[in-house]
Amino acid sequence: MKYLLSLLLLSSMVGSAWADVSFAEVAKEVNRKMVKVYGAGGYRGVNAYCTGVMISPDGYILTVYSPTLDTSNLRVHLYDGTRHAVELVAAEPQLDVALLRIKNQEPFKEQPLPYFDLTKPIASGQVGDWVLAFTNQFEVAVRDESVSVQRGVIAAIVPFAGRRGITEANYKGMAYIVDAITNNPGANGGLLTTRRGEPLGLIGKELKNTLTETWVNYAMPLPPLADFAAKAMKGQYKRQVRDDDKAIDDKKAYHGIVLISDVLDRTPPYIDDLAPGSPAIQAGLKINDLLIFIRHPRTDVPEEMDEKVISSVKTFKDVVAPLAPGTKINIVVRREGQLLTFDLTLGKPIVPVTPPNKK
Amino acid sequence: MKPVWMTMLALCLATIAAASAQDGPSKDLQTAESRRIAAIEKVRPAVAAVFGPGGGGGGSGVVISPDGYCLTNFHVTQPCGNFLYCGLADGTLYDTVIVSSDPVGDVSLIKLLPKEPGKPFPYAAMGDSDKVQVGDWSIAMGNPFLLATDFTPTVTFGIISGTHRYQGPAGIILEYTDCLQTEASINPGNSGGPLFNLDGEIIGINGRGSFEKRGRVNSGVGYAISINQIKNFMGHLRGGLNVDHATLGALVKTEDDGRMRVTKVLESTDAYRRGLREGDDLLSFSDRNIGSVNQYKNVLGIYPKGWRMPMTFRHMEDDKDTIGGRRETLVRLAGLQAREVKEDGTRRDREQPARPPSTPAPQSHAGRKQYKRKTGFMNYYFNELERDRVLAGFDTFGKFDKKNGSWTLTGEVERPIKNPVSVVIDDKLVTLKIGDKETIIEPLKAGETPENLAAPDGSGGLAMALYHWRRFLIQRTTGFDAAFFYAGQEPYYPTGKAKEMVMTDVLQTEYAATTCKWFFEIKTGKLLGMECWLLPDTDPCELTFSDYQPRDGVQLPTHLTIRHADREFGYYKIAQATMAVGPVAQEKKSDEKKAEDKTGEKKAEEKKP
Repeated sequence: MKYLLSLLLLSSMVGSAWADVSFAEVAKEVNRKMVKVYGAGGYRGVNAYCTGVMISPDGYILTVYSPTLDTSNLRVHLYDGTRHAVELVAAEPQLDVALLRIKNQEPFKEQPLPYFDLTKPIASGQVGDWVLAFTNQFEVAVRDESVSVQRGVIAAIVPFAGRRGITEANYKGMAYIVDAITNNPGANGGLLTTRRGEPLGLIGKELKNTLTETWVNYAMPLPPLADFAAKAMKGQYKRQVRDDDKAIDDKKAYHGIVLISDVLDRTPPYIDDLAPGSPAIQAGLKINDLLIFIRHPRTDVPEEMDEKVISSVKTFKDVVAPLAPGTKINIVVRREGQLLTFDLTLGKPIVPVTPPNKK
Repeated sequence: MKPVWMTMLALCLATIAAASAQDGPSKDLQTAESRRIAAIEKVRPAVAAVFGPGGGGGGSGVVISPDGYCLTNFHVTQPCGNFLYCGLADGTLYDTVIVSSDPVGDVSLIKLLPKEPGKPFPYAAMGDSDKVQVGDWSIAMGNPFLLATDFTPTVTFGIISGTHRYQGPAGIILEYTDCLQTEASINPGNSGGPLFNLDGEIIGINGRGSFEKRGRVNSGVGYAISINQIKNFMGHLRGGLNVDHATLGALVKTEDDGRMRVTKVLESTDAYRRGLREGDDLLSFSDRNIGSVNQYKNVLGIYPKGWRMPMTFRHMEDDKDTIGGRRETLVRLAGLQAREVKEDGTRRDREQPARPPSTPAPQSHAGRKQYKRKTGFMNYYFNELERDRVLAGFDTFGKFDKKNGSWTLTGEVERPIKNPVSVVIDDKLVTLKIGDKETIIEPLKAGETPENLAAPDGSGGLAMALYHWRRFLIQRTTGFDAAFFYAGQEPYYPTGKAKEMVMTDVLQTEYAATTCKWFFEIKTGKLLGMECWLLPDTDPCELTFSDYQPRDGVQLPTHLTIRHADREFGYYKIAQATMAVGPVAQEKKSDEKKAEDKTGEKKAEEKKP
């Protein structure tokens, strides 16, 4: 009889739980915590806009790490239409995540912002669950206009394998795959929630499935990102060593040049970072130099020199890959309108490449 | 023991089954599902598959009245021409004729012609798109990819992703203002089809999506023109007009603090005449607050040109740092599409974008009998229908055609200063006497300047307006050889106050270089007022007629309010009115002859292929 009662009780609970808040109410509430991010881009398929989620009452914003954030002129529009300058606090390319902060936090001491508290336990979705997606895809909304809301179900929860253009996506963690077309231009940094508006995941970039060549609609579960955010908000986050940095192992010649992210078919080979004490630093290369030309001994006939125009990030990597440690090369770069030549001797790695966090 | 357990178990299962059937999730699901199915079943018969002659082109539509009026997109009808075909879910293909187009709003009104005269069509009701909320369910129906050869519509379903969206134009046409965003699949062929709420009411007309790199197939972001915008244009559409949208003639910019700063105002616009200047803050338009350029475009984009709407702005004094007073005014909206200036200085609307040559409709197409070509109209046949409807509605106020002699109205100026007033009007002359001051104008005299015709001073042309009023009542369509047409529906403000707005049917006349608009209350057919323009891009003389009383077999107003620019010129009581049966046979005859000529012309036009 006890079982019977508890069963009855259970079934009635399920019944009442179904009589739920409307999507309209959920949408209104979540929208107050979403921000529209405006940054760099606007050409060649790189959007100058994306989405973000307010995660503190004083203006910390979680978003997806992308070239859009690569500008000193980052701005956000909040749900109430106010416009604020923001800065990049920390980024973790391995997780495709970035933390932004509104520069002037004064107003929020008096009037705290509505936000998602990611230090609280985060809901986890199951396959088949209804979900809502909040994004500013296609920059449909500006100022106080509400972000777009879509609805779908979690179709799968799988380890992620996607690519953008010709490069593999950085993110290799688990992903919620949804059946709605959520990952449109500018949707990155949007929020996937339960049907009641509890945060589940951060909506990722526009990526294609490496196997099927189809666009993937996915979100990254929040717990690892929340961990990143918690540390970054305290200024304690250290960037992880990149996979491709590790690939520069003792067998391959080492130069210490870190080029900008390869996001386009032919990404111009600008130097994004230089490893401390590396051959590149010793040769005199500087951050923001644009690689133009490389001259190196042929691998088959070392006494003959080969020459190549470095037209993209990929070209540089392809040319350097077969060269052995100890090889002497010339690199021509463009710096402030001048062409400069540098001699560089490839070496073995002296220290692992851990580029410092961007200011 | 065993049987007892079995019974217990059976009882237990039965109870659970009963419980979950009564108040478990399945019941709610079933309710939601049956509501959805019922809504779809209700409106499915009204959804049309639209085709051009020879089966070319194509899109979707929705029938909105039992007599076959049907909404679709301009970009669907534009390549099809004036004679189309619509298939309904019953499998029947109906001859269909163009009624009107709104290229900026991407809307066309077409009319299905019944197979048997008078047989009603299934139709769907129009809802209120301003009540739609983000997160509400929506149902899109239409003929994506022109899949259905039997015309049964495809149904897609999703939530509303956004409301009051702005999607910019292609050139100057196809501008989606204040539109709905849906995640229901919108694909090529869905264009022109309806977006319904769960009550089966039309909340929008699907017309475009955001696609970018994924090709022209659904990307989860579709847009529907809000049905409330279309309702604003419904009069214009039913009147077979070439529809134009509105502009304020001012540019605005969003400041960092969210204020909308006016950066430019065209001096020829009503906004300028109402005092809007560069540097002012625009606060609200049509009772909607404006916080972004998108919203500015949204609130303006949903109105036809010529509408008069309330606007609030804060005027900045010459020294730009002082915050000036808040001003509320009614502003007339200018046309959006470029206008060209004719050699004589008057302006006329530029022609619509040329329609590509389409396969001519076969002689058997039933729409040929409901199509009349005329410059400035999409289909003049429907303009005549609406014009005659409005005139017939005013018939209850009496027949004025025999009262074609001299009219004498006497009474009193009640505001601003008490004074006796009288006016004598005939076909040639208006003699207006206010107190001791007499004004005489000859409206038809060659070389009379608009300045002289604007008498008395400050009225904007009261004498001229009265001349046209008498002419309009007596002669109707025969009295205005330059133009006499139905101009759609517009809001009218009998008291000059924004709060007291009445929707009216509007007739427009042109005669003696003067343009007049005539406002008829939709509910009663009563002529509420008129506006008289001596020159374009100036303030008209406005007459408001009130307190109609029977006089001499007809109804005449006993009060007349005259307004010009921002002020009331006067409020007159008409105590006595005599309307002579006139000996103006000469002119009448020639008018009749003209009318005959016109009919002849129309017949000739009809015969054209």
